[in-house]
Amino acid sequence: MSLKGTFKDKLNSSRFLVTGEVSPPKGIDFSPAIQNMKSIQGFADAINVTDNQCATLHMSSMAFARLMIENGYSDPVMQMTCRDRNRIGLQSDLLGAAALGIPNILVMSGDHPKCGDHPTAKPVYDFDSVQLLKTIQNLKNGYDFSGARLSASPDFCVGVVSNTDPNERLQLMKLEKKISFDVDFIQTQAVFDIEMFKAFLEKIQSDIPIIAGIIPIRSAQMACYMDANIPGITIPNEIHERIQASDDPISEGMKIAADLIKQLKPICRGVHMMPVGLHTYTEKILKKANVFE
Amino acid sequence: MIVTKAKPFDSILPFAEGRKNIFILGCNVCAAKMKTGGEPEILKLVGQLEEAGHPITGWVLPTAACSIRSFDHLISKNEKIKDADCILVMACGSGTSIVSSLTDIFVTGTNETVSLGGCSGFDLSERLCVFCGECNIGDFSGICPNARCPKAQMNGPCGGSKNGKCEVSRDSECVWYLIEKKMDSIHSIPKLHDIQMPKNHKV
Ligand code: SF4
Ligand code: SF4
Repeated sequence: MSLKGTFKDKLNSSRFLVTGEVSPPKGIDFSPAIQNMKSIQGFADAINVTDNQCATLHMSSMAFARLMIENGYSDPVMQMTCRDRNRIGLQSDLLGAAALGIPNILVMSGDHPKCGDHPTAKPVYDFDSVQLLKTIQNLKNGYDFSGARLSASPDFCVGVVSNTDPNERLQLMKLEKKISFDVDFIQTQAVFDIEMFKAFLEKIQSDIPIIAGIIPIRSAQMACYMDANIPGITIPNEIHERIQASDDPISEGMKIAADLIKQLKPICRGVHMMPVGLHTYTEKILKKANVFE
Repeated sequence: MIVTKAKPFDSILPFAEGRKNIFILGCNVCAAKMKTGGEPEILKLVGQLEEAGHPITGWVLPTAACSIRSFDHLISKNEKIKDADCILVMACGSGTSIVSSLTDIFVTGTNETVSLGGCSGFDLSERLCVFCGECNIGDFSGICPNARCPKAQMNGPCGGSKNGKCEVSRDSECVWYLIEKKMDSIHSIPKLHDIQMPKNHKV
């Protein structure tokens, strides 16, 4: 179960951490999303709030992160993409988030509007994720992007995302640029290939806590789809075979996830659970992986 | 070269309604190359408008619609332009703007202005530059990520790049894949490690 203390404190401990992810509602009825949060809040060391994921309109991650706090969860991670706001909007929301008591920020580029439900929207990308991280560092030091002094500065725990393909040298280069700016944690794309992940860790050689992404597979089709289409995901044949041979792919997918977590436990700092849909099986998977022992 | 696409004829037609003296002005540089404003396209539009019941007073094909000495210069090429109550410019938005700035006559363009692109042989490339005003294309050996990445990623590829293809359109190459190939061939990958600061949009 999650320890006392903030996510930042836990990152500084030696514990194996669990983070999860919830999506704000498409609309203003937030109770189902809060229920989803409640299903993992007892053991999640931090819970990400997606920022209009897949470039599809949802309630703002800042508003939902605040609602999580008001509903009893103190460690939301507000995801912030560079897609929808220019440098004024991004900084303004960061100051707002700090004032609302949101402790953690996860920076990402964000899927392009063309991939979502408002494909005719103007893509902003005034900053990229590296430039946003530098600006967050400035804010933490008491200055805005233009160099003007702030009345009081935010103190975020800041995370970044990364794919884990050790052969993508420019993606690794970008990760190196990102972590040159006071980064507290790295969450990765879903990991299925442990050898590949080890090679990635070898290449990165960083002390920053790395939290490996876990997506439980639900069907053979889903595995094939992710392998072929989702950037940064590679699924080894052995996993495809296991899921294809099973009569109960959901249980098999949970077993695969638990096996992966067991193998990840000695080599990284935690797992980031991102099931497709709700966290119905998250606790079961973690139990199977002996995470709570 | 400015990349243009001809608007569908149906969307030009409303501008011709009620006009008595329609004049057409082409562009013998980019638009001619794009086949959206050269002589054959002008003659085609003349034919289409006449068939739709809108006789054309005259037409002219200046060298570049975006670089015209004066309205008198256009008159010297075809004085019918003086009597026009509508000038249809078969050029880019810039050419149309220049023509409009020279006269009080109603002016509109017949093309979509898509981007600053170019061609080598028959291969057309779109959106090679987005006129940011502080060019650092040399940092990438002549391949601009600010223009050619749909997310303007200046410090390396986004997480959506897969097998060298772009997340936004799997038919297009990720520009960072092109940069990697080029910089690799000239042993300059380490140069890409420099942190690129945000663009200055004031310029
Ligand atoms: S950096 Fe790119 S967009 Fe800017 S002027 Fe140079 S080529 Fe054009
Ligand atoms: S895949 Fe490449 S070109 Fe496409 S948005 Fe990402 S970085 Fe830009």
